Amino acid sequence: MNLELAKRLLKIGAAEAKNMGKPCSIALVDENGWLVALHRMDGATIPTAEIARDKAWTAAVFRRPSSEVSAYGDPRAPGFGLNAQNWNDRLTTIPGGFPIWDGDLMIGAIGACGATPEEDVFLCQEIIEKIFRDKIILEFKEVG
Amino acid sequence: MNQLTLEQALKMIEAAERWARDITGSPCSIAVVDKAGAVIAVHRMDGAGMATTDIAIEKAWTSVVFKMPTLMGSRWLDPRNIGKLLGDHAMGMIGRGKGRLCFIPGGIPVTNEENKVIGAIGCSGVPSGVGDISDTSVSQAGVTALYDERK
Repeated sequence: MNLELAKRLLKIGAAEAKNMGKPCSIALVDENGWLVALHRMDGATIPTAEIARDKAWTAAVFRRPSSEVSAYGDPRAPGFGLNAQNWNDRLTTIPGGFPIWDGDLMIGAIGACGATPEEDVFLCQEIIEKIFRDKIILEFKEVG
Repeated sequence: MNQLTLEQALKMIEAAERWARDITGSPCSIAVVDKAGAVIAVHRMDGAGMATTDIAIEKAWTSVVFKMPTLMGSRWLDPRNIGKLLGDHAMGMIGRGKGRLCFIPGGIPVTNEENKVIGAIGCSGVPSGVGDISDTSVSQAGVTALYDERK
């Protein structure tokens, strides 16, 4: 993940959120969950920024959509106890965080928050789909 | 103008990024917060350290809350100022603000035409405190970009 790629994805996300009529916060993190860029659109409430960042962090470090993190743990009680541990306050199982893959390599993750969880998921998926359709990662790949 | 828009925040950050890249030569994180101290936008330039984003946010938050640049705040809260400025408060400020208080130079509040604080910008990543090559100067570039817009 680099800042220029993140800015491009944020631009796509803002346009998509505007289409949906829902101002959102969108966060991009690198493959270790460290924040690269975060935008809170006008009208998106204050918590959306932190939650978007939490979703992105969760997706990056668990390498799966944030909603699926609750699958860890006892199968009879999915994710039981996972939210209660305290080793990092950024853990969330709210849907809306997704890792971004470049082939086999996870380059980072995106998190969106501002509408319903389903709409946040839809927003992220639209962005990720566009990444693949338009081969956006290639434009920002460092050479060498 | 009563509050910063995302567009304004991005203009500020863009100008700050340019200063960081062209003048200081250090990749930085730059954050803009609104008048409540809530994050509007954060960018971490390639090569900037992992911890810099949170520090930039904290400097901006501190600037809003104290309504002064953190460089100034750091001088007021110097423990060597016992008996004057805020020297008596210096040690008491450690750990306050639920960990968001940060008096390292690099945060600057921005005001509207009526001189009310409407937000702040914070920068972290330049290994220097004062002068043209510093976190403060990077933030100042962002502040100038916002104020220039108004003319």
